[in-house]
Amino acid sequence: MRTLLLLLALALGPTAHADEVQLRMSWWGGNDIHRTLIESVRRFEAQNPNITVRTEYTGWVGHLERLTTQIAGGTGPDVMQINWNWLVLFSRDGDGFLDLNTVGQDIDIEQFDREALAMGTIDGKLNALSTSMAARLFYFNATTFAKAGLSPPTTWDELLAAGPVFRDRLGPEYYPIDLHLQDVIALTRSWFVQRSGKPLIDEDAKRINATPQQLADMAHFYQSLVDAHVTPDVRTRASYGHVAPHEMRPWIDGRFAGTYQWISAIGKFIDTLAPGQSVVLAPYPMREGALDAGLLYRPAMMFAINAKTPHPHESALLLEFLLNDAAAIEAMELKRGVPVSRKAVERLTANGTMQGLSVDGFEQIATLPHAVIESAYFEHARVRDAFIDAFELFAYGRIDADQMGQRLHDNINRILARTIR
Amino acid sequence: MTPAAPTRRMPRSGRINAVVRYAILIGVGFLMLYPLLWMIGGAFKPNHEIFGSIGFIPNEPTLDGVVQGWKTSTEYTFATYLLNSFQIVIPKVILTVISSLLVAYAFARFAIPGKKLLFALLIATILLPKSVLLIPQYLMFRELGWLDTFLPLYVPSAFATEGFFVFMIIQFMRSLPPELEEAAVIDGCNSLQILMYVLVPLLMPALISVALFQFMWSMNDFLGPLVYLSSVEHYPVSLALKMSIDVTEATSWNQILAMSTIALLPSLLLFFVAQRYFVEGTTTGAVKG
Repeated sequence: MRTLLLLLALALGPTAHADEVQLRMSWWGGNDIHRTLIESVRRFEAQNPNITVRTEYTGWVGHLERLTTQIAGGTGPDVMQINWNWLVLFSRDGDGFLDLNTVGQDIDIEQFDREALAMGTIDGKLNALSTSMAARLFYFNATTFAKAGLSPPTTWDELLAAGPVFRDRLGPEYYPIDLHLQDVIALTRSWFVQRSGKPLIDEDAKRINATPQQLADMAHFYQSLVDAHVTPDVRTRASYGHVAPHEMRPWIDGRFAGTYQWISAIGKFIDTLAPGQSVVLAPYPMREGALDAGLLYRPAMMFAINAKTPHPHESALLLEFLLNDAAAIEAMELKRGVPVSRKAVERLTANGTMQGLSVDGFEQIATLPHAVIESAYFEHARVRDAFIDAFELFAYGRIDADQMGQRLHDNINRILARTIR
Repeated sequence: MTPAAPTRRMPRSGRINAVVRYAILIGVGFLMLYPLLWMIGGAFKPNHEIFGSIGFIPNEPTLDGVVQGWKTSTEYTFATYLLNSFQIVIPKVILTVISSLLVAYAFARFAIPGKKLLFALLIATILLPKSVLLIPQYLMFRELGWLDTFLPLYVPSAFATEGFFVFMIIQFMRSLPPELEEAAVIDGCNSLQILMYVLVPLLMPALISVALFQFMWSMNDFLGPLVYLSSVEHYPVSLALKMSIDVTEATSWNQILAMSTIALLPSLLLFFVAQRYFVEGTTTGAVKG
């Protein structure tokens, strides 16, 4: 009898063991995100007793370095959160991550709109699903604007006109909007694309979609913002120290009364504001005859599955749970912006969570023409550095606008020719 | 009547002189310590107060940052991360001191074929940026099955991989008179006994400097643990402190400041205890005499 039991145990043991699946999942985030995702993962485990998930999370700093090493070493996690522009780093040909179409029976891809899916697709292979979308929009400190006797600007001209009013009525240390160089680049890009109606980086031709003269015009436009006291110049900004924009004293106390900010990041700008002030979303300024709003509309973050995972089915189940399951949706709410998944939007609308600045932002985006999708290479580290480099030299007066246009044009083309393969 | 203890009264000018000097010293010392005081004060401030004021005394003191920071947003408390740090740092410091001492002894006192070339290589490793080695080392430790353990973080120290420390001990050893060792040889010591009984006591200040430097550097090391440790339960303090800093969420700086203060205590204590040797060690290596 005992031997029989032993044999039975031996026969059952390994099979029972084989059913046990351990997944690894990585993400970056802050306190709220960590708590929410851990909670959701535990619920997922409760629903799927044969799956355990090891959560490997960090803050934002260093996450890309860590993931790069892991992927290079073939030890990447099964499910990972990635940034949209990392797709071009890890999956140039679409084979870097699992093609989610192959696990289509486990994930309800129908919940995601075509635009969002297209941004996660490379060569017809669905590499990643967006959790939420993001774009940069104009936000203003309504309290300071009221003090200046103005309402937040609705056009480029009104923005330019607000500068002198701020200077004269409130004082020279008051500005309608604070732009650090990366914001300047994004803002002048939007201003330019409104007229050109094309993405600034042409991925197929591996070229920048602007002449040196047009790039010089972008520099001139920035200069006109500085000259009109709309935004502090680089020297003034530098005098407040090397601090994150939302932690700068003048932002906190309302002297810098605006930001051109990612819809997903505006929350932290509001959190740091000194009490008694309020931030509003302003209508997006459009140039006369604009073909497009020139938004940097892209996924705020995405989830992907390791191409080499031994458990594609279980990984897909986890992804489906996090993006489309009611429990996970209600836990995440709008902490990562308005979700892309239709099911999630319905759920959050039904329970009254769908309100606030991020929801307003999405309503605004829906009304704006945003057919121009900027290439992910615009956010490639080398391209970004070349932009910052050129704008910085210009902003400090080391080169003039024409030199800057030529330099930027040549540098970006050289980098694109080398980077896009 | 017992004679009163002779009170040595300073001349008036001397007293003024001392008052001025101490006032300057205290003032400058306070300025230097201000960031530290600000950090400790910040730990007890509510989050919105941190950027609003430059003073370090909280207007509305709260223990919230300490309590929430200690709990962390993870499944583990901060104690786990502190313990992890020590599990990495303590073996690392011990291994570094022993291995650097042995290698330095060999370079300073023995005729080895190709010594000059080897020494040049050792110095070259100081100049090599660590990030270059990251991926090859990662692959090596993967083959050894050491990923997500503490081993990759301290085992390399057993091979005197910190060229700077070897160099420092060599310089220190060069200042010691060889006669002492010759006398020990006559008394019948072998090479290791010379090291143990003659050199180590003399080298103590240098060894303590090495230990302190390594302790501080390892406590602060971010990239190593970031890459080699994937499970949150293995994170050391340096990773844990940055866990809650995200791009989209406002950071709870009071929690981070509170935990930084706690994480700083071991280093601070160690420094005060070993201060005498440390200061001696860093300066005596520099001056030959």
